[in-house]
Amino acid sequence: MSARQASVHAKWVIGQVIGTKMKKTAKVRVTRLVLDNYLLKYYNKRKTYFAHDALEQCTIGDVVLLKALPGKRSKHVKHELSEVVFKVGQVVDPLTGMRVAGKQYLEPLAESTEDAEVSLTEKLEQLNITASSPPSPS
Amino acid sequence: MPMKGRFPIRRTLEYLQKGEIVFKKSVKIMTVNYNTHGDLSEGARKFVFFNIPQIQYKNPWVQIMMFKNMTPSPFVRFYLDDGEQVLVDVEGKHHKEITHHVKKILGKTDQVLEAEALAKMELSNPANFGHKKYFLRECMSEVEGQVPHPGLVPLPKEMTGKYRAKMAATSDE
Repeated sequence: MSARQASVHAKWVIGQVIGTKMKKTAKVRVTRLVLDNYLLKYYNKRKTYFAHDALEQCTIGDVVLLKALPGKRSKHVKHELSEVVFKVGQVVDPLTGMRVAGKQYLEPLAESTEDAEVSLTEKLEQLNITASSPPSPS
Repeated sequence: MPMKGRFPIRRTLEYLQKGEIVFKKSVKIMTVNYNTHGDLSEGARKFVFFNIPQIQYKNPWVQIMMFKNMTPSPFVRFYLDDGEQVLVDVEGKHHKEITHHVKKILGKTDQVLEAEALAKMELSNPANFGHKKYFLRECMSEVEGQVPHPGLVPLPKEMTGKYRAKMAATSDE
């Protein structure tokens, strides 16, 4: 009574897509932190998983969340693509929902520049900065 | 002869075992996005440097991944077993604040941890004897003050079986 249709140990994994040459399948590299017993330091250990990607929407370099399938789909494929966390080149910041590249926002944060200019000049008038003569030092 | 590295105390078992955060069973993946430069990510950087090894030590089955310089603001994201995602904004916070916050939202409480430790202690009774792997002592001769094993120290003549048998035989006659 061998467990041929047993489920996988890893239910949810996150990894980076490294290959999409197979039809409807993405090759995903998953890194886990493993403790080196002598140095007592954590290092990344890699493992490749194959994931079923029905719509072939993955490109190499995407960060992807995989979900374990209830049973093996084929000899190597035991996971399916749940969602693309970060699409390569089109990273969306989850806090603001805007497109982002490294440390910069690609979309402008403020509404539009014209309103900002008008309010700036109004604010300057309100401040009433005049060039007064400096007091004599004595 | 001091240890090598910047803060080598991070690499001691005592430091790793002192980790406070033990995640609930439903947490499967933890993702930290932070930046390598900038004051706002300073807390996140310290969190990754000091606290991530402790967290991974206490939660060996949680996958932890770090992403650098992907977004302008740092955040921590957790992926739970039922598909739920928890997003924690970490910008400008001190690394201790981050650990307290994470412990509060997704960590097991101290009460639960104590109860688990107690239950684990109850399983193994130190008064039992048996194989070295599971029990403290194998034989009574290992206890101080008891008769030692005759293989190590010869028994006094009066305790040996052949003397007793001889005495019993001569007294019967």
